[in-house]
Amino acid sequence: MDTPALYRDIVLAHQRAPRRFGSLQQPSHRCDGVNALCGDSLQIEILLRDGRIADYAFRGECCAIAMATASLLGERAIGLDAAALAALQQEFTALVQGESAGLALGDLAALGELARYPARRKCALLPWATLAAALAGHAHTTTEKDAA
Amino acid sequence: MSSAFDPQRWRADFPVLRRSVHGKPLVYFDNANTAQKPQAVVDAVDGYYREYTANVARAVHSLGEQATAAYEGARDKLARFLNVPSRDQLVLTSGTTQAINLVAYSYALPRLQPGDEILVTQMEHHANIVPWQLVAARSGASVKAAPISADGELLLDRFEAMLTPKVKLAAVAHVSNVIGTVNPVAEIARLCRARGIPLLVDGSQACPHQRVDVQALGCDFYAMTGHKLFGPTGTGALWAKREHLDAMPPFFGGGEMIRTVSFDGTVFADPPHKFEAGTPNIAGFIGLGAAIDYVENVGIAAIQAYEAELLAYATEALQSVPGLRLFGRARQRAAVMSFLIEGVHAHDVATLLDHEGVAVRSGHHCAHPLMQFFGVPATARASLAFYNTREEVDAFVRALDKVRRLLA
Repeated sequence: MDTPALYRDIVLAHQRAPRRFGSLQQPSHRCDGVNALCGDSLQIEILLRDGRIADYAFRGECCAIAMATASLLGERAIGLDAAALAALQQEFTALVQGESAGLALGDLAALGELARYPARRKCALLPWATLAAALAGHAHTTTEKDAA
Repeated sequence: MSSAFDPQRWRADFPVLRRSVHGKPLVYFDNANTAQKPQAVVDAVDGYYREYTANVARAVHSLGEQATAAYEGARDKLARFLNVPSRDQLVLTSGTTQAINLVAYSYALPRLQPGDEILVTQMEHHANIVPWQLVAARSGASVKAAPISADGELLLDRFEAMLTPKVKLAAVAHVSNVIGTVNPVAEIARLCRARGIPLLVDGSQACPHQRVDVQALGCDFYAMTGHKLFGPTGTGALWAKREHLDAMPPFFGGGEMIRTVSFDGTVFADPPHKFEAGTPNIAGFIGLGAAIDYVENVGIAAIQAYEAELLAYATEALQSVPGLRLFGRARQRAAVMSFLIEGVHAHDVATLLDHEGVAVRSGHHCAHPLMQFFGVPATARASLAFYNTREEVDAFVRALDKVRRLLA
């Protein structure tokens, strides 16, 4: 198969061997995120210390896109506070909508190909939504608040 | 192929089947989602808009007469297609969902008492679950689901045991949209009739694949949709026994469904018009009429025989893919195959197959309870039609092997 650009090496590498996959000993925040339309579900746990993400773990039953995003996101989120994370999330959302080059996103910019896959964007947005909800103190979230 | 059926003869009638996707010939295996439309259907819709656009049943001018004749002609064709005893027992709707909701709100809700039950099955589409839950919540009734076997067959003895005096209505799929199981509807209807329980059959997935004879089935209500039957979207129908239609109050009020209106009271039209408020999907039904003509010309018996052969071929071919799990092994099955490849999510399967030109659906297929039964969040689903070929099945299986090598 000429591998579609969406499944670039970096995405496949994180899907096959996700970083920070599992759970934390003593998380300060935990959230279950579901994408009800497609059936993706994942749990993100974080340890917040002095307002910054000191540790991160995730697990779940997801497609390659959600899995790779959750893995890449964990690598990127360590050390960030809620405001920095929100700014990054905004940039990532713009990236997958084809409205940003995602220069601040590092390896996460590999998901930029999603601009050409509107139906798959939610797969990558789920880990972000789940992390943001965890930080906000919510135990559950969904990417479909505005859709059936 | 042992039968003389030649899909190539019919493929040429479907303009979409000539296109390519990502540079590969389109292999359209998402027919249970919606079917492609033959040129005759496109022409019928186009002809209405081009030549005789007019409202129905309220214009005496020539265009109105022509539109009314074509629209009501479609009702006649559909009535014959389903062997409905009388055309005025066929309510035209926007699809199966509206048809089931009509029965839920107009028939079931006024009759339901606290403690009553509506019996469905574990394999239902949400359209045959959620309307019942909504009216149950309003009335204090509850929705119960009869279990299925690991092979995806309804456990008929369990269904029968659940048909207690509490059950005020039963609702079952004729054919499962996820795993293709063909339910023994005539037998189910016999069990229901013996207890005086009305039966609704969700025929969405049956009509494109097999002869449907509502009188032979012996049910009370039959709901169907046009867009899976090669017709336009936004078309469908509810057949109900006359005694039910007479007893049911209108669901929507408006024009077209009345005899006289005054502020002292309104006299409703007779069925089916009392359930058809407002200007209907005229072009859509004219297109559906053309779709039925088309299907009758191909021959529904020939379609059924050919699809059974193609399903057997595809099922065997899928078994050659390492790590592939096929869901549902009912003895009576329509050409719908739900599957997963070990270690690969259904969405990745669908995206990667699309890159090979193969269109399948991935997700829960509007059947969460069935996904829960199989213990998976989602599956990929290939659903075939009479215009699909063995060569397409081969291309599909080759593409699956590539997916497996990339991700599994």
